[in-house]
Amino acid sequence: MPVSDPFREGLARGWKARDASALDHHLDLETDIAIIGSGAGGATSAELLSAAGYRVLLIEEGPLKTSSDFHMLENEAYASLYQEGIGRLSKDGAITILQGRAVGGTTLINWTSSFRTPEPTLRHWASTHGVEGHGVDDLAPWFERMERRLGIAPWQMPPNANNDVLRRGCAALGLDWKVIPRNVRGCWNLGYCGMGCPVNAKQSMLVTSIPAALEEGAELLYLARAEYLEHDGERIEALHCVAMDPQCVAPTDRRIRVRARHYVLAGGGINSPALLLRSKAPDPHRLLGKRTFLHLVNFSAARFAEPVNPFYGAPQSIYSDHFQWRNGIDGPMGYKLEVPPLHPALAATLLGGFGEDNALRMADLPNTHVMLALLRDGFHPQSIGGSVELRSDGSPVLDYSVSPYAWDGVRRAFHSMAEIQFAAGAESVQPLHAASRPAHNLAEARAMIDGLDLQLFLTRLGSAHVMGGCAMGKDPAQSVCDSLGRHHQLENLSIHDGSLFPTSIGANPQLSVYAIAARLSQLLGERLATPSGDLVHSAFGR
Amino acid sequence: MTTRLHQAAALNRRGLLKFSLGATLFLGGASLVGCSPATAAPGYRILRDDDLPMLRAVTPVVLQGTAAPLEQVLARLDEALASLSPEMLKLTRQLFDVLALPFTRGPLTGIWGPWQQASPQAIEAFLRRWRDSSLNLLRQGYCSLLQLLLMAWYSLPGSWGACGYPGPPKI
Repeated sequence: MPVSDPFREGLARGWKARDASALDHHLDLETDIAIIGSGAGGATSAELLSAAGYRVLLIEEGPLKTSSDFHMLENEAYASLYQEGIGRLSKDGAITILQGRAVGGTTLINWTSSFRTPEPTLRHWASTHGVEGHGVDDLAPWFERMERRLGIAPWQMPPNANNDVLRRGCAALGLDWKVIPRNVRGCWNLGYCGMGCPVNAKQSMLVTSIPAALEEGAELLYLARAEYLEHDGERIEALHCVAMDPQCVAPTDRRIRVRARHYVLAGGGINSPALLLRSKAPDPHRLLGKRTFLHLVNFSAARFAEPVNPFYGAPQSIYSDHFQWRNGIDGPMGYKLEVPPLHPALAATLLGGFGEDNALRMADLPNTHVMLALLRDGFHPQSIGGSVELRSDGSPVLDYSVSPYAWDGVRRAFHSMAEIQFAAGAESVQPLHAASRPAHNLAEARAMIDGLDLQLFLTRLGSAHVMGGCAMGKDPAQSVCDSLGRHHQLENLSIHDGSLFPTSIGANPQLSVYAIAARLSQLLGERLATPSGDLVHSAFGR
Repeated sequence: MTTRLHQAAALNRRGLLKFSLGATLFLGGASLVGCSPATAAPGYRILRDDDLPMLRAVTPVVLQGTAAPLEQVLARLDEALASLSPEMLKLTRQLFDVLALPFTRGPLTGIWGPWQQASPQAIEAFLRRWRDSSLNLLRQGYCSLLQLLLMAWYSLPGSWGACGYPGPPKI
């Protein structure tokens, strides 16, 4: 049965979308609201603001890929849907950073886990970072609204065997575990969320808010990189973009100038502060790009006698927060436990090694389970996050040091994961570190973990959640934006993405971004309606 | 010969730290030792003639125990490099330069002759030396090289049978 491609059908019906890579001339565009970035923050803003009657231009650096393009092949997905062709790393090269880069942003390639911002996180933002109006009760209606909008509900089917290891192990040890809420409708339980959902079951921005905005007349410009904002220190005059080649590797020589009443920046962590750095935006307290957080991730592999087939089935359906808050909000680093899907190419880079060892380990892939810990960074004085910098070509890179405080969290997480894996019946457990080997019982694993030399490159580290860098708060001496996402210095600029977060979230962040962007967009729409609404032409002059 | 002994001495731990000035070539500017031209070799979009002897020697050692066809892996690697950001490609090319140029290859890898003549044992020793090095730079080089080759091979359908992966389901 062929699967329909509603996005292509919408384009055929006349949605306004333009491929900047195909431009044969420079463009000058005008609109009410220019939104930079089409991921969770940008697309949510586009839907609300276009529904409120504003002309919206949604600008995306990456390509437009729709369900017909998603073939569940790692090489195709990594090359076309991920930042820097999946080559994005921390500045020292030690942390792989997975971020999306296509129409729909990271929502196209995330693993669908959808959590409300934890209450301790929201309380900490209010008490320590001067964030106003983001209390539990303020956000509850927005979480409910976005959960309904995106079909977010705890996963109804049994977890796949990879996730069931986490459930069984926690149950055997009496640790807390729960079913993960996912943003899916009619999910086929295939396991390829990270390569673009081929059946449009994942309620990513590509199948929800972007189509809704385009139906309302919003316009989409893709393969266009926002290069800099032209401003006088108080107001933005224009946004300057460069067209990218069809592979989104290098700019072409075509340029696009966009003039708007208001600009919404939603490029996500790293890219949003980078645009402001390139624009030399006012930054009187040197805060821009600072305190960028990653939910640093470490991994523990285990071998099971019975098949796990970790490449099939909903990739994330069980989690444990047992170790997340038990030391208080700002004690030793807390962590959330989940599992990653394991397709061969990504699995090989995680499991590492070369020669016969590698071949033998990969031959065991069907019996391999991997668990991961998301370390909650940004809550302790020694957890200051990283800093976004510009390379010589203006592209951003994140300088992120792993502090002794964080390494302590990594080691404790290795212990927790090994204990759970053995409790679930693992034959052997191996913390993913260049000097580790399979341990056949918990005592052996504990001794090995205590002796591991936790250093960069030896310890396998990753991140799929970039947060902060344009922190919100009431005090301009401590934040880049106010609690409504308004830039403290540039009056017609708002930021609606995860770069607003003053710390990491302590959970996969997509629902936090949706809810906060929706609330801020609603308020922005109301504010912009009060002065006389200027009549503005279609961005594409049609 | 004395030169070689002198350089070999640089490979003990203290000597290698002293050599870190040279190792900054690795990221900072392989141009100092004469960066290879950026022209792709015939049949490739990114890989250059100077990259190929190293890759043809190292790939079979990294993928030993698999049935990986060398030329298919290099073609897949070439595709992946073509989608990297210009900055990440630049860093990757600097890594390849350091491995290809005799001036840096010998002291940093212990492979003193041309790659075509290096034994698998010598290449394994080089990989272990970089993996276990006290220098972040060499550990990074090891990780990058391994990831590029592993991702290239394991994204090819020919690798899947041996790792029990039936491939994507039919929809």
